[in-house]
Amino acid sequence: MNAAASKAGRLALGGYFALMAIFLYVPLAVMTVFAFDDSHIQTLPWSGFTTRWFHAAFSNGDLIAALQRSASIGLATAAGSTLLAIITALGMTSRRLAFRGLITALVLLPLVIPYIVLAVGLLILLNWLGLHQALWAVLLGHVGVSMPYCVLIILPRLRTLDEAIFDAARDLGAGPWSAFRRVTLPLTVPAIVSSAIIAFTISFDEYAIASFLVPAGQETFPVYVYSGSRTPALEPQILALGSVVVAVSLVLVTLAEVVRKRAERRLATA
Amino acid sequence: MTLRAETTAVESSPRALLDRLPSPGRGWLTLPAICFLLSVLVVPLVLVGLYSVNLLTNLVGVPTGFSLVNWDDFLPPGENVFWDRFRTSMLITLLVSVLAVAAAYPLAYFLSFVARRRRYTLLLLILAPFFTSYLLRVIAWKVMLANNGVINSALWELGLRDHGDGLSWLIYSWFSVSLVLLYSWVPFVALPIYVVLENVDTRLLEAAQDLGAGRLATFWRVTLPLSLPGVIAAFVFVLIPTTGEFIAPLLVGGPESYMFGNAIQSFFSETPNWNYGAVLAVWLIAVVLVLLLLFGRFLGRDLRQGRATA
Repeated sequence: MNAAASKAGRLALGGYFALMAIFLYVPLAVMTVFAFDDSHIQTLPWSGFTTRWFHAAFSNGDLIAALQRSASIGLATAAGSTLLAIITALGMTSRRLAFRGLITALVLLPLVIPYIVLAVGLLILLNWLGLHQALWAVLLGHVGVSMPYCVLIILPRLRTLDEAIFDAARDLGAGPWSAFRRVTLPLTVPAIVSSAIIAFTISFDEYAIASFLVPAGQETFPVYVYSGSRTPALEPQILALGSVVVAVSLVLVTLAEVVRKRAERRLATA
Repeated sequence: MTLRAETTAVESSPRALLDRLPSPGRGWLTLPAICFLLSVLVVPLVLVGLYSVNLLTNLVGVPTGFSLVNWDDFLPPGENVFWDRFRTSMLITLLVSVLAVAAAYPLAYFLSFVARRRRYTLLLLILAPFFTSYLLRVIAWKVMLANNGVINSALWELGLRDHGDGLSWLIYSWFSVSLVLLYSWVPFVALPIYVVLENVDTRLLEAAQDLGAGRLATFWRVTLPLSLPGVIAAFVFVLIPTTGEFIAPLLVGGPESYMFGNAIQSFFSETPNWNYGAVLAVWLIAVVLVLLLLFGRFLGRDLRQGRATA
């Protein structure tokens, strides 16, 4: 007997879950369907099948350049914030850490400050320093906002590692760096990979900070997508490339989860 | 700790002694992040604060000097369009937060109590859209809701409404902004509730029923109270980011449903008045901090439980 739900209750919950799952995927499916629609305007009836928006999107130099820019900033963010998060998390697992509460609050601060405020803050900072909008400023902003997520992924993993393994390596003559590299790091790899993926995703999708800090003519993908979605001539291309991006990220999320589960199982049995 | 003290005591090699004796810990490893976050986060926020009281300005020919003129203008009493915008924005935020939690609870309940073996797959199924581009999801909704969009034109094709006569509330309205925000938050919000429900000991539910409670009574008096920390955490997870939302209203919102974030944005782009915009930005942070003070302890509790199960 199930104490949480009767048979009818289980059916109703299952039905609700199925409906919600459909609700979550319908807009994505509709976007994909209209990416293949032979019309500038996304309306019913469907005008017929075409792949011309995909051809147009992939031969649109501005769009591809924006995509490449976002990919570069995303990779740099993933590398930068994960590296910073590993170092920070190592420091935060220290037994004696002065101002632990303050440091934790500072690291988690970007989670609660609205992006729009961070964006205008960085804009004011650039102006105050006499600098112009630049992609490196976007990168710094992205590292800042993705770092707390990276720390929250890596820190619990480090906490579950038995400190005695590290101490044993040290007692056997390994220096702190070598003990870290050959003991701690390999055991943290799954968390590091998740952290890098999350950071890339955050950066690749980030609109608010980028919209204030990109220089004219150097739009990132979300900034280009936003302005494109308001330009009827460009919108079908946005839908075409958008459906590719959504499909790729759905596949990546699934893969990442499968890989993470498998790696965790292996580490658990090792 | 005691084990460590003993091993230190029996250390004999000089190198190990040298390593251990000063033992500054490795807390200094947090320094790079502290410096980085101070410069890209805290310094900008301080500058925003200075702008809000006119100690700095980007306006040419305007003298700087401490002044609360913009604060006076914005805060009640007195009519102010941006204060109205703030109130509207908070109402939408509250509405979306409550609805998102209510919509996500049965999902989490289903995952932890009904979908036993396939729950991780199903959890991934509803979480996956959350990890796709937020902007693209909002654009997808615009395709659905637009005046000539999929929903309206489907109604025309089905003969349910006259051609060209779209539902006026479908887009650029409270409805569209709330719907899109709700859509994007539901999967994410199911997660903290799910984590808490997973920790509920089902023997407690069985005990309640052995003692004569029906399933509904068991839910109201055992399951729901036990899951309350997760519910409140989920509520705050929506409440805080939505307070500063501006992308959904930008694409599917109208004059009545622009949010406070849009007001801030406009002062830094279309009609540049950074000093006034800074007042709104500082106000937004203050509101978020008050919300955190009110609800923060629930977040802490939820995180601890999440860590215990992870």
